[in-house]
Amino acid sequence: MAVFQAALINEIEKLYKKKKVLVAVLLSLAVIVIGQLAIVGVRSGLGLRGAGSLEFPMLVLSVFVNTVLPLFTALVAIDSFSGEFTQHTMRITLTRPVSRFKIFCAKITAIMLFILGALLLLLVFSVLAGLIFNTNSATLDSFSRTIFSYIVSLFPMLVLALGIVLLANIFKSGITVFFVSIIIFLTFKVLGLIFSQYSSILLTTQLDWYNLFLVNSFPFAKIVRQFLIMLGSGMMLFTTGFYLYDKKEF
Amino acid sequence: MKLKKKTVMLATFTVGTLLLATTALADIASKSGYDELKDALKVTAQQSSETFDSFTLDYSLALKDNGKTLTSNNETSKFDRLKGASEGSSSGVSLMGEKYSSQTYSDKMTMIRVSDGDPTYYVTEFTKEREDRSFTNPFKEDRADDLEKIADAIVGSLKDHVIVTENPDGSKGLAGSLSELQIPSLVNAVASFQLKQEFNGIQTQMPHLTKDVFVKEVKGTAKVNKEGVMESILGSAVLSGKDEQGTAHDISIEVLVTMKDINSTTVTKPDLTGKKVVRNIAQYYSKSEISNPEKFVGKFKNDILIEKDGKFVKVGQRFIDITHMENKLVEGRYYEEYKPGFEEYATSTRDIEFSAQFEKDQRGNANFEYTTESGGKGQGNLYIDDFHGKVNFNLNNRNQSPRGGMMFDSNFTPDLD
Repeated sequence: MAVFQAALINEIEKLYKKKKVLVAVLLSLAVIVIGQLAIVGVRSGLGLRGAGSLEFPMLVLSVFVNTVLPLFTALVAIDSFSGEFTQHTMRITLTRPVSRFKIFCAKITAIMLFILGALLLLLVFSVLAGLIFNTNSATLDSFSRTIFSYIVSLFPMLVLALGIVLLANIFKSGITVFFVSIIIFLTFKVLGLIFSQYSSILLTTQLDWYNLFLVNSFPFAKIVRQFLIMLGSGMMLFTTGFYLYDKKEF
Repeated sequence: MKLKKKTVMLATFTVGTLLLATTALADIASKSGYDELKDALKVTAQQSSETFDSFTLDYSLALKDNGKTLTSNNETSKFDRLKGASEGSSSGVSLMGEKYSSQTYSDKMTMIRVSDGDPTYYVTEFTKEREDRSFTNPFKEDRADDLEKIADAIVGSLKDHVIVTENPDGSKGLAGSLSELQIPSLVNAVASFQLKQEFNGIQTQMPHLTKDVFVKEVKGTAKVNKEGVMESILGSAVLSGKDEQGTAHDISIEVLVTMKDINSTTVTKPDLTGKKVVRNIAQYYSKSEISNPEKFVGKFKNDILIEKDGKFVKVGQRFIDITHMENKLVEGRYYEEYKPGFEEYATSTRDIEFSAQFEKDQRGNANFEYTTESGGKGQGNLYIDDFHGKVNFNLNNRNQSPRGGMMFDSNFTPDLD
């Protein structure tokens, strides 16, 4: 376990030193600022309320999980694999007395921590912005649902990251991985619109699965099904990704 | 050790695949409440347009502002599919606070209408059997499939908000509610903007919301019987906002539709004995030919005017004398007569004969060529307006360019004196 911990700290340190994380943080804050400005514009221009204090974080989340977050998850995941392959820094990592499985896990965990951090940061700031600039509509129930929605968004995002890691182990160039991921992402989005009755099995639809936690009746069966679909695809992506990573020669 | 790792990986992958495949299948197979709702609507529309002999639909709507009723409407419609007859009554309070009520009856040969304000029965009789249009299935319309797909995409993640409860007798209850947190912000903004524009466009009786408008809540319940037919559906929505003075308003709208007396509804024709009745025969204006064209044989006229000393002065009259008219052909003479003292206005085209063929599929519209007394040729157009009992007659667009300040009217009315 100590070995894994060391590998993880190593990965986090690498991630932290990259400018991308800073850009991600700035962009997340920009989403909040732009969103808040749009709400204020709608409110004074059209006379609509736009969003209340707790609808605002949900609005931010719905935009964030479909745009900025997948994009930066992709960038971070690509950097962590393709980046190191092409810069040959992966060799340095592998020369340590750590098994490939542990390194793979450490990398995935680091990406997961990045996603979680981004979500929590966004949660704090959007709730603050929501409370300061919008008419108060918060209740304890809706507040806890909001927090829950942010946290559960981690799962589909992690599956997405695993998918990108798999792609990063298939293609050599990071740019190829990036574009292939975007094309797949958009294709899934379009498929979800056309075949809306089957859309619940697509990962892009699961990015919005936090909506299930907002339903009054709490559709337990549906949540379990969605979770199992994500778990199943996550397991497949993880093993295939690791298999390729394990076989790779540097 | 090497083998063991491979086995573990293979096992994990297989378990993942199985997990994904089985739950995905289960997920597709499981019907969301939204799907149940859609199915019930489809079955109901299909059954009522094809299977049920008769049924009664009750529809009521109420619009309230902070609990005070602004307008309400109740309608009962009875349909008898076998006879192709329907009966309806409607009553309510309008936005202006006026009460109203009216009854209608319609079958293949007649249509009867009466309202509270005017106890006269207006009867329209049809000379031919009408097509039965008492109830058509909206899901059989051409665009229904596409619209359904669009609706599905819009509803999207809200599908799971519809809860289904199954009763022991096989009937089902559907219920759903959305609060402001659950309605996506974009949908809320678009909907509230639309509603705000709609409300502010109409009467002053409506509160004019100008600030902080939002959809507060949407609720609905429905009952589906064991045959899958929807027996009742109740929907309500609350729009909240502030007016110019800053007063908060909660405008609520409630709609209830119930279906009852399936196969046991009787549609009765109103008894007209001893009642004040106004009868008329339906005209088939949509047909491409004029019915009994002979009525147009005769003289039509209008006045020729000039403006003199700030007044209109009649200088003469124009006449169309239709001598022959049938479904395809119209023949006659056009001439002008000037009053004594205004003869100088007379021109060379004042007396022409015309014979015009009606254009195919253009009801009452005919073009013709003519020769004047002096041998000049020209073209003209004639339009028989049997809706207003008039003839519209134009010569070479002469009506648009008056000679010597004369005003020509292209509409001719029958000369019945």
